[in-house]
Amino acid sequence: MNKDILVIGGGIAGIQASLLIAESGRKVYLAEKTSMIGGNAIKFEEVFPNMECSTCMLAPKQQELLQNANIELLTLATLKRLDGSPGDFTATIQVKAGYVSPVDCIGCGACYEPCPVSVKNPFEENLNERKAIFVPCAGALPNVPVIDTDNCVRFTKGEDCTACQEACMFEAIDFNQEDKELQLKVGAVVVATGFDEFDVKDLPEYGYGELDCVYTAMEFERLFASNGPTLGELTLRNGETPKKAAIVHCVGRDKVGYCSGICCMYSAKFARFLKHKIDGAEVFALYSDLCVPGKLNERFYRETLGEGVSYIHCGNVKVEKNSKGAKVTYDSAGKSESIDVDMVILAPAVIANPDNVALAEILGIECDSRGFFATETGSLAPVTTSREGIYVAGCAESPKDIAASITQAGAAVNKIISTAERASVPQAVED
Amino acid sequence: MASEEYRIGVYVCECGPNIADAVDIDRVIEEISPLPGVAVVKRHKLFCSGEGKEFLKQDIIDENITHVVVAACSPKDHEATFAGVCKEAGINPYLYQIVNIREGCAWIIKDKEAATKKAISYIRAGVSRVGYHVPLEQLELDSVPDVLVIGGGIAGIEAALSLASPIRKVYLIEKTETLGGTAAKLAGLLPYQGEGPGAIKSKIDAVGENENIEVYLESEVEKALGFFGNFEISIRPHEGDPVELNVGAIVVATGFSNYDPAEDKKWGYGKVDNVFTALDIEEQISSGEIKKSKTAPKKVALIHCVGRDEVGYCSGICCNYLFKIANNLKETFKDANITHFYRDLCVPNKNDEAFFNNLKEKGIEFVRADVSGVSKGKSGIEVAYTDESGEKGSLDVDMVILAPAVKPGEDTERIAEMLDITIDETGFFEEEHLLLGPVNTAVDGVYIVGCAQGPRNIPDTISQSNAAAGAILSRLIPGQKLLPEVKVSEVLESLCTGCQTCVNVCSYGAASYDENKGVSVINEAICRGCGNCVGSCPSGAIRSKHFTETQLHQEVIEALLS
Amino acid sequence: MADEFTPNIVGFLCNWCSYGGADRAGSSKLDIPPSISVVRVMCSSRVDPSLVLNSLLWGADGVLVAGCHPGDCHYKEGNYFTRRRFAQLEKVLESLGLDPERVELAWVSASEGQRYADVVNDFTEKIKSLGPNPLKKTPY
Ligand SMILES: Cc1cc2nc3c(=O)[nH]c(=O)nc-3n(C[C@H](O)[C@H](O)[C@H](O)COP(=O)(O)OP(=O)(O)OC[C@H]3O[C@@H](n4cnc5c(N)ncnc54)[C@H](O)[C@@H]3O)c2cc1C
Ligand code: SF4
Ligand code: SF4
Ligand code: SF4
Ligand code: FES
Repeated sequence: MNKDILVIGGGIAGIQASLLIAESGRKVYLAEKTSMIGGNAIKFEEVFPNMECSTCMLAPKQQELLQNANIELLTLATLKRLDGSPGDFTATIQVKAGYVSPVDCIGCGACYEPCPVSVKNPFEENLNERKAIFVPCAGALPNVPVIDTDNCVRFTKGEDCTACQEACMFEAIDFNQEDKELQLKVGAVVVATGFDEFDVKDLPEYGYGELDCVYTAMEFERLFASNGPTLGELTLRNGETPKKAAIVHCVGRDKVGYCSGICCMYSAKFARFLKHKIDGAEVFALYSDLCVPGKLNERFYRETLGEGVSYIHCGNVKVEKNSKGAKVTYDSAGKSESIDVDMVILAPAVIANPDNVALAEILGIECDSRGFFATETGSLAPVTTSREGIYVAGCAESPKDIAASITQAGAAVNKIISTAERASVPQAVED
Repeated sequence: MASEEYRIGVYVCECGPNIADAVDIDRVIEEISPLPGVAVVKRHKLFCSGEGKEFLKQDIIDENITHVVVAACSPKDHEATFAGVCKEAGINPYLYQIVNIREGCAWIIKDKEAATKKAISYIRAGVSRVGYHVPLEQLELDSVPDVLVIGGGIAGIEAALSLASPIRKVYLIEKTETLGGTAAKLAGLLPYQGEGPGAIKSKIDAVGENENIEVYLESEVEKALGFFGNFEISIRPHEGDPVELNVGAIVVATGFSNYDPAEDKKWGYGKVDNVFTALDIEEQISSGEIKKSKTAPKKVALIHCVGRDEVGYCSGICCNYLFKIANNLKETFKDANITHFYRDLCVPNKNDEAFFNNLKEKGIEFVRADVSGVSKGKSGIEVAYTDESGEKGSLDVDMVILAPAVKPGEDTERIAEMLDITIDETGFFEEEHLLLGPVNTAVDGVYIVGCAQGPRNIPDTISQSNAAAGAILSRLIPGQKLLPEVKVSEVLESLCTGCQTCVNVCSYGAASYDENKGVSVINEAICRGCGNCVGSCPSGAIRSKHFTETQLHQEVIEALLS
Repeated sequence: MADEFTPNIVGFLCNWCSYGGADRAGSSKLDIPPSISVVRVMCSSRVDPSLVLNSLLWGADGVLVAGCHPGDCHYKEGNYFTRRRFAQLEKVLESLGLDPERVELAWVSASEGQRYADVVNDFTEKIKSLGPNPLKKTPY
């Protein structure tokens, strides 16, 4: 039985699982697809239900993870194969070259400036630009840039650009780095690949992409992040400050067929933020059902209401262009109504990470009809997948908030250690 | 203070051009070298590199350095790195100070002259401070791997099953005469949660069969003293002598109670015939009683959110269990008209909504309205309501099922007091951190799971029990020492007046009052070193190690000298 | 030529949030006046009134204490205690003939590099307008 563990996905669920496993003295390989850890939660300025600063909350955990000798973080890493059997898996991980040595790089950032290529920054929901050598945002951890080979002119055009390399005083940039494949021996796997946002372009009635003043929830999160593209200044794409905003709940809920359970809460967070940040801002929350389960969530909603946010129970919401920005029409209590606003924020359903299906195949586990990893709910085991030795945690299993993601991470770790403790008996009894 | 024997080594990192370009390091060396106690001042291109670390280590050894100051980047980056080097070089890592001249100086002060002055001032502060450092040692504590679980509902059962193994005993304490709690009374679970009673029953059986779980029925925990790894517990069976136990951790799984709808006469509960709570109906369904009732219900009203306003939160499970009951009734009484009166649908789990849609297809009605009263009507029971558009209406039914809010368990306050854990504004046990430590409490080693922490369904309860078990298993390892925080606070007995301010401000219960000595004491195994007690003590009787008054004063004085 | 008054400010920053904010300001290369000398403490609640008073008595022109936003303290509620202690401290300062404005309590989170810069700049301006600490008699 191999004691080492593979964790896939470095969001909050994967981080928590890794830290707990490492604490137990086991070695952890954390394979994260991107160049940084923190997942979605690190993108938020504040989190419900206490409007707590997300960075303050998560940075110590990230830091702890990077300094933990039992954890080997693999960035730009994805699982390619899983052979063997529970207790004795061999995981083949592909690690893409980042072209910057994490040992030599000190994260000074001197290499970005001279890079001639500027492209939209997907981490910032394309609201700003970054260079071809980049860290996704200020404060990203690990603070080591990578070269985006889809845009760097060395790789796209074969040009002999060495601007970043010349700027680096630490000889950290190595254009000859190559992708590599690692074979890891592990006893169990925790899958924590997180979620995706429903693509609002699939629902043209909300005007996303057509109207400049329509934003998705994730875009808004970055707009209000103090390390985001506007340094936390709430400015619309047209440069103006919004005065009147509509937040549309449940976008895509009917299409996906479930309530994501967190959108009402984060929408309330947005409403609050608008109220706090902009004097006299008017905020309308257009909801179909208020879903604020749990002991402290309703208070959060009531406080938001108390700040003068107008909650409108309605359906059939449509967004059209008008001179002010947008005209939002909806049906409420049997009547058709409308409001003119200068900002619309859509709260799209939380959907499964599109990687899941392929990953499930590799892992030999099952996904449910929506692409989340299926668990053995029949035996009431919320983190146990259809295969022994493979556990799932966080939004990879279903949409949930940070607390529930952290909880599942702990639950997955429990499964791993308790299985081992039960098996390690004879030895323990002997000595 | 820098005495004769001190040989302070000061190491200034150039951080490539990052510091070297912004700060005149030669001048730094010139000004720091003559300071009392300073043996060497050296620079390096990059101390955090492999070569830099090796250089540092060797130099500490070669120069017989006793105290180390590294002027480099933020402590968040490399405080731990250089502490490691000190250790390797044979120096106690607390005889070292990192001085942040990059983020805190080179990167924010654009004028080189000013930046150099600032760097010198910070390094002087580091040198003065380190002179007052004392070596600190990591405490190592023995621990007991066994665990106490309070409450034998599904949360406690799951925790016990997750923790028990031949190398770890679990003591499961239950107040009543049976295990299973509320879950065991239910007629079934939601279809996508699996066969309820079967699954619950097999878990109860598994507890009985597990020789590493010791069950105490009809017993209560009377006393708990100690800290993570070492708690002394006293159990009082309802009959017989108390039992003393030693455990390393405690899981509180004492469950919930229900809002009593009789509290508000508008619900007609206890007054109007055939008005039941959901739990009444669950029991009637599981016992088969409901089928036996002389007249099968023809018209049933299910009322959501009973007591929600009184408790101030949405329990998050009532919509779903009412759906389950409606489904069950519809299957048993095919012709019954079933109407839900709800305010907002709360169906936050990925499979909930499909089940709800299925009910609508089966002809179950859903009315979004506020119910204003349940009373005896002309023909049966009258449910009066106000719908969304403000219109009043009423419905005559022959059975009403209420979904009362989930409330904290009866013993919550007593247990909180006994374990020294807190209760939040809703009356449930309070977690250490709502998001990051949802099953932890401020008392390390005490965990809260299931509805004791807040209202939740069975899968989420099981998740929490597993999570608490995960937290315990990862830290409380048989045969392995516990390593508590080193930079803790300590009471200087000669100065302490016994006012107990510190006892009141400490969030972790680390400070307590010693009646015999008449002074407060801080338990090093519990203290997290925040220093709140230090800041509050009116007599200046508490010292926080590594952040002592003198050490901080040195930093202040140097800041004011420049 | 009259020397422009450059204030001497001692800034106690909590390790978890505010020091992180200062670091963020640093890595974003924001302009922060050298007037501030940072002293790191684990939590703002560690800053006992005597630390503040001594700083002023020894000649600091201003004292800044920065911690996590209310509710965000790494040690649950340390900063609430800090806030309470500061309310009391104001009276003591007045009785010593010191303008309570010389002491400032601010909440800065780890992501708020810009806010940290603003807090320090604003406070520096404020102290400049208040002039040197009247208690600053003999330099060391
Ligand atoms: C707009 C919005 C606002 C929210 N606000 C709050 C809030 O205020 N409070 C709150 O409690 N919750 C909030 N949530 C919910 C919160 O974001 C989630 O609960 C949490 O981020 C889930 O963590 P996770 O680790 O499961 O997933 P993620 O954060 O998505 O992390 C998954 C990680 O896995 C990596 N990964 C993905 N695929 C692979 C692969 N194939 N191989 C390797 N790595 C992979 C990803 O890069 C990522 O790092 C919000 C959600 C949204 C959409
Ligand atoms: S090689 Fe040139 S284009 Fe490519 S990342 Fe470096 S600077 Fe940018
Ligand atoms: S210049 Fe070099 S050391 Fe600095 S961030 Fe870029 S790669 Fe890293
Ligand atoms: S330092 Fe903090 S944790 Fe330790 S005793 Fe004092 S208040 Fe409690
Ligand atoms: S840790 Fe920041 S104020 Fe307490």
